[in-house]
Amino acid sequence: MSMLSYQHFPIYAIMLYFLGAFLIVLFGKNKIARHCLALLSVTGSLALLVSLVPRVMTGGEIITYWMGNRAYSGGYAIGIALEVDALSLFFALLVAVAVFVSGVYSIRYMEHDDNIPQYYTLFLMLAGGVMGLVLSGDLFNMFIMVEILTFAAVALTAFRNTARGALEAAFKYLVVGSIGSTCILAGTIMLYAQVHTLNFAQLSGLIPGHIHGATRVAFALLFVGFSTKAFLVPFHPLAADAHGAAPASVSVLISGVLTKSGIYGIIRLVYFLFQTMNLRPIQFMLVFVGSVSMFVCVTMALAQHDFKRLLAFHSISQIGYVLTAVGLSTALGISAGLYHAMNHTIFKGLLFLAAGAVLHETGTTDLDRLGGLSKRMPHTTVLFLIGAASISGIPPFNGFASKWLIYQAAYLRAVETGNIGYLLVTIIALVTSTLTLASFVKVSQSVFFGRLPDEFKDVKEVPFGMRLAMSLFAILCVLTGLLPELVTKVLTGPAAQAVLNPVRYIAAARGIEVPAETAALPQAVGAWSPINWLLLLGISLFAITLVALLGKYDRVSENASGEKIPAKYDLFFSGEKSVYSQVGGGDLFWGFKHNWRHYFSFMHDLHSGVVNDYALWAVVALALAIAFLQIVL
Amino acid sequence: MILMNYIAAFFLIVLGLYTIVTKYNLVKTVIGLSIMDYGVNLLIVSIGFNPGGTAPIFTFSELNPSSFFVDPIPQALTLTSIVIGACVTAMSLSLVMKIYEQYGTMDTREVRRLRG
Repeated sequence: MSMLSYQHFPIYAIMLYFLGAFLIVLFGKNKIARHCLALLSVTGSLALLVSLVPRVMTGGEIITYWMGNRAYSGGYAIGIALEVDALSLFFALLVAVAVFVSGVYSIRYMEHDDNIPQYYTLFLMLAGGVMGLVLSGDLFNMFIMVEILTFAAVALTAFRNTARGALEAAFKYLVVGSIGSTCILAGTIMLYAQVHTLNFAQLSGLIPGHIHGATRVAFALLFVGFSTKAFLVPFHPLAADAHGAAPASVSVLISGVLTKSGIYGIIRLVYFLFQTMNLRPIQFMLVFVGSVSMFVCVTMALAQHDFKRLLAFHSISQIGYVLTAVGLSTALGISAGLYHAMNHTIFKGLLFLAAGAVLHETGTTDLDRLGGLSKRMPHTTVLFLIGAASISGIPPFNGFASKWLIYQAAYLRAVETGNIGYLLVTIIALVTSTLTLASFVKVSQSVFFGRLPDEFKDVKEVPFGMRLAMSLFAILCVLTGLLPELVTKVLTGPAAQAVLNPVRYIAAARGIEVPAETAALPQAVGAWSPINWLLLLGISLFAITLVALLGKYDRVSENASGEKIPAKYDLFFSGEKSVYSQVGGGDLFWGFKHNWRHYFSFMHDLHSGVVNDYALWAVVALALAIAFLQIVL
Repeated sequence: MILMNYIAAFFLIVLGLYTIVTKYNLVKTVIGLSIMDYGVNLLIVSIGFNPGGTAPIFTFSELNPSSFFVDPIPQALTLTSIVIGACVTAMSLSLVMKIYEQYGTMDTREVRRLRG
């Protein structure tokens, strides 16, 4: 095997990040050397993985790479393996793309910070950690990578340690994240005690025949461990804290990449390691956690006054979609979930970068202080709106395509099983999407439209390098939205097939090739044509515009004391005189929030910010998971 | 004999979690994390233990079917885990120091600027 043979590419893709990280420690003092090294490693890694697409994705090959060439001997996998099937490569590509764009953005975004070499080192360590996790074929190595990425993420959260709450967020994340990592380690070792191997493929072959008390506990430990990495409920406050404090380029990684590592771990756990997804209770567990995450986090987002914190809650809400879809355990559901995972990386990355651009120019992310930036930052505004439309599921952007598939997958599952619960899930998904849209109307209004506060009169557009990075994400948003057939054929389809064929993964580690049992490949747009619905949307939008144009409203209104104030929010008070309603950007949906005030104040009190509470939630989640799995599995 | 190890390991893990959940001092939280790590480490070595086995240090020529030794893999895992545990402690303590500088308190109930 020559050094340039494609079997080596996965390990090169991982090592390029780590090599870059260590070389930047040595030569990072020089600005040019630092940028060259960082760009070389992120670009090189991306290029290597893209070159594997024809073989692994469309060709259906599974690359097994044994470190030091120590393959199977005597029926046991002794060496450490990398095993790259379509699922691994799918997540690896997400990681590589997000890291690449975020790396490009960092160059200008971080230029005013101190200790930039350390930033790049940690940045590449985080990227390498996630890359190692998704390409690894060894459970213990997955744990090591989890630790590397957790450390890097914690350090990056505290990177701007003078920012409000940065240290606090990092500490909380470290405590709960460590509990999660310890859970993964304990789960790993309990599986090892049963079957004496750490190779993932071999474990997947042996564990399904060894399900008893101890393996059930291991399942619960691993599930909770990976959930902390994906920030699913009840670990969502950590994500919100970390995102609020971390630099935007890091938020892209935490939301787009780190949460995916958790989702990847859960998919590997339930579909490969235990192969329990044919069981109703396990499906229920995933769908339940996913639905709760998506609803709770979107309502939490509505109550936020900080741009990045709000985006963080939305991020977890979208991860809830992914988990729900994956938990449906149908080909359509898995493919929809993976599609949404990809879109989430893209549009969430774009939104965080836009938030970073606002922070870079104005120095704040407080929604109550910002306003009218569209006049000063038109490009950022357009890019932000593309991201906002995508996350809210508005056609023709990518969020629509994947959410459309998720609704259908959930609804068809309800029809198939006659289970009313799946119908409820469909409704929750729809309501969540509506609330997401509502929330982004609020954000666009408070940040980019309305009156420009005097303190931001001389704000400028962000540098070209940052706009370039955002544009890359925006282009991807449009492309993946317009070409669902291609995405399904090349990316999500093969990955979903890999999930449904664990036997191929297990056999490939022994060098045996098993032909894929192709499940009916889900159509790109599913069963329902979106064109008719798009027409319906167009007609209703036209009707609304007509009504809005017929009505009259003053450009200037009066507040209680009679002074003239600009009509920033009049648009949202249909017909009523807005005399007594000077509403801040954070309170755009005051009516809704008033009706739900008990819920919101309850949630607010619940998210107390005390690390002990969050640790308690982790313990309770673990206890519930153990008890649930002992009963049902 | 080895059962005692398992009981002790889970006792340490639970003790660590208990410390993290109930103690309001940041340093005690860090101590809780360490105790939990020690519990897991004890669990790992215990899993690899074979009663009567020797240390697993052999060359290929010395290895024969009658050689009986403890499982070396868990020991390697424990070493890795100990190193990681040390990193967790170092990093969290450095964060605690910086938090104390900024907030002037070690009480977790007062370190809650981010909430809701």
